[in-house]
Amino acid sequence: MIDAPRATVARLVGGRRGTIAGATVAVLVALGALGLLFPASPAGILARAVFAAGTVASALRLSVPIALAALGGIFAEKSGVINIGLEGLLIVAAFAAVYAMDVTDSLVVAFLAGVLASTLLAGLFAVVCIEFRADQIIAGLAVWLIALGLAPFASQVIYEAPNTDSVRTVPTVPELVGSLPSAGDLPVRTDPPTLGVGVLDAVLAVVVGLLGRVVLFVAEVLLASSLSVYLMVLAVVLSWYVLYRTRFGRWVHASGENPKALDTAGVRVDRVRYAAVLLSGVLSGLGGAALSLGLGQFTGNGATMVNGKGFIAIVAYLFGNYNPVGAFLSTLLFAGLQAVQNPLQLADIGVPDPLIRITPFVMVVVVLALVGRTRLPDAAGEHYESGEE
Amino acid sequence: MSVRDRARRALQRLVEASATERALISLASLAASILVGAGIVLVAGRTATCEEAAFVLATPRPFGVPELASAGFCYDPVAVFDRLFLGALGDPASPGWDPLNGRMATTLRETAVLVFTGLSVALAFRAGVFNIGTQGQLVVGALATAVAVLWAATFVAGVVGTVVLVPFGVLVGAAFGGLYGAIPGALKAYADANEVVTTIMLNFIASGVALYLVRSVFKDPASPANQTIPLPDHALFPPLLFAPQFGVSILALLFGLLAAGGVFVLLRRTVFGYDLRASGLQPAAAEYGGVDARRTVVASMTLSGALGGIGGAVYVLMVLGKFQTDVPAYGFDGITVAILAGNNPLGVALAAFLFGVLKSGTTVVQFATDVPPQLVGVLRGLIILFVAMPEFFRLLGRRVLPRNRAGGDAVAADGGSEPDGTDSRRGEEP
Repeated sequence: MIDAPRATVARLVGGRRGTIAGATVAVLVALGALGLLFPASPAGILARAVFAAGTVASALRLSVPIALAALGGIFAEKSGVINIGLEGLLIVAAFAAVYAMDVTDSLVVAFLAGVLASTLLAGLFAVVCIEFRADQIIAGLAVWLIALGLAPFASQVIYEAPNTDSVRTVPTVPELVGSLPSAGDLPVRTDPPTLGVGVLDAVLAVVVGLLGRVVLFVAEVLLASSLSVYLMVLAVVLSWYVLYRTRFGRWVHASGENPKALDTAGVRVDRVRYAAVLLSGVLSGLGGAALSLGLGQFTGNGATMVNGKGFIAIVAYLFGNYNPVGAFLSTLLFAGLQAVQNPLQLADIGVPDPLIRITPFVMVVVVLALVGRTRLPDAAGEHYESGEE
Repeated sequence: MSVRDRARRALQRLVEASATERALISLASLAASILVGAGIVLVAGRTATCEEAAFVLATPRPFGVPELASAGFCYDPVAVFDRLFLGALGDPASPGWDPLNGRMATTLRETAVLVFTGLSVALAFRAGVFNIGTQGQLVVGALATAVAVLWAATFVAGVVGTVVLVPFGVLVGAAFGGLYGAIPGALKAYADANEVVTTIMLNFIASGVALYLVRSVFKDPASPANQTIPLPDHALFPPLLFAPQFGVSILALLFGLLAAGGVFVLLRRTVFGYDLRASGLQPAAAEYGGVDARRTVVASMTLSGALGGIGGAVYVLMVLGKFQTDVPAYGFDGITVAILAGNNPLGVALAAFLFGVLKSGTTVVQFATDVPPQLVGVLRGLIILFVAMPEFFRLLGRRVLPRNRAGGDAVAADGGSEPDGTDSRRGEEP
């Protein structure tokens, strides 16, 4: 009985979501066309900024912490625990990773330290919510505020300033392998082979030219990306697989939608939820570590370097309808908005810097207003009490 | 059941718990947070580097047994908490204590702003809305007040100026904060956008826009900092008893108390307050009873934003005398204050003072012991965490006290058990 209006709501939401996605694609296509037709106009400058390999690479780089936190948020919320404290998990991981890097100078240890810090905090959150039945929203806010105090506190204790010392950053593939060309060394175009037949040569020139452009573009993006970007893509694929193709994924779904059924089937709901929340800690830990190690420093002033990315992640997965791939694509949209700003500022299209920085936040509010209520898992936010004791 | 219903039920439990129990939980949370804080200070003291240990833990050595272990700490947690509380009040136990001393002034200054941010969060909470955006509403209110009063101060001067300008500034702050609070309210009511996320986003937007406006429109050309032109003295809250350099006014403090009383009366004695509380407790029943749920959400968020905006006005007209970017996180402190007060407006006044002690105390602590003042940020979160899990203290209570004395009584005190009836039984299983 209840399903009928809910299905309508879902369709409506899906419709709105589709509209936004469609509008985004349409804007990009229109921009590309305008840019090709009028290269000298502001649209042309904007198009060159949007479609530059550097912009795409930096959009991917900016996506890493948001997308990883969003993946974590999906697991937690799908299992029935709304983790609004993702921001806090990113903050502690960002600090712990830089500190560990500073002490050990090992990339692996640094990432592990970030994951450990974030998972410990997520574990605390899980105990508070599952064992002590705290309100999830309030406990999540507490996690965020604790981290917001703790990381600058620790930085002040160790480095005597809210910002840490600088450390090594995460390398790109060429930096790691050495024998590969770096992104800047790639040729701009590829010369097509000639066959000696005029018409064929012309066709070949166009085809190879276009294909070559695409291949070179992709290669440039891949070569310019740090290992963190590869890690993110891997995490998106794995998360999708775990959620939709494994038994654990089915348990997570059931734990959020119908915990009683899961309980009846003999699976401990609280354990599934613990696992899911801890997993959100692991993923956010990777995200936080990638964020600070990408810049080689933790900055703890004001809202810290995380600066709302955990909350953007929440909107990203709501907008992506709890699908890891959807969450990744909506993250890319938010991050792309930010990435386009650097070339625009270089091209001197004058929107003042403070205003440019708030565009992702404005976008998030707009998206949230348009998408409106998302269909949460049925039992999300609710404490589940097993009947047996 | 949706999240919203669940959240409302949790709020309802918070609200319905008996006043004594709530006060006990708040006090226990405060104590627990401070205990954890002491632990953090100890751990931090091991990590920090210092010339000489301020505090040494060693295994006892009865009958000349050689010392097994000894650890030196850079920070002495006892000294930290001694400074935190006694320092914040200017050492009330020492002879010749002057209640108008500088530390006390700082504590009361913080209190005066926190009363408003606490009331802002508490009022929204009562209506079943999480307003995490008090910070942004405070920033908007503060900037609007600074700009409007600066403009108006050229027309009036002297005592008349103060009488006109201060209420004018407060009204402007309330209006702008209220409008800024109405945005997430309307988004929630009419577009079903989650207010937790929108208010947090609007915090970032507020500080970004404020930074832009101050940098490019309202900047004080004489200052390298991002700030507006300082307001003349006659446009500020008069300091009265305290020395003017402390930036605290008894008037502002009284105004805060008055506001707390006002919100209390509004919630308890007016139709609007009844509607508001009803929508917070039982939204479905309230709507059935003829309450327009959407209008109530927008109205309560507007009012909540207005209180945050007044907090901003008080910050400008009492503490700073101008607007400066990088506004301290009074809005987030307000969440702690409201939760500590169990969302009771009168409790907010007390909780604001307690948290004011913590905030002013951390600066004393920094002078005396080198412990970074960010400690208060950690305590802010810990307090919320502990208050959020009354169950923790109930279980603790049951373990410490014999079953027939604690157990059932403690649960019955919050108005019975959960609807499914499992709540009260769980902890008593052997």
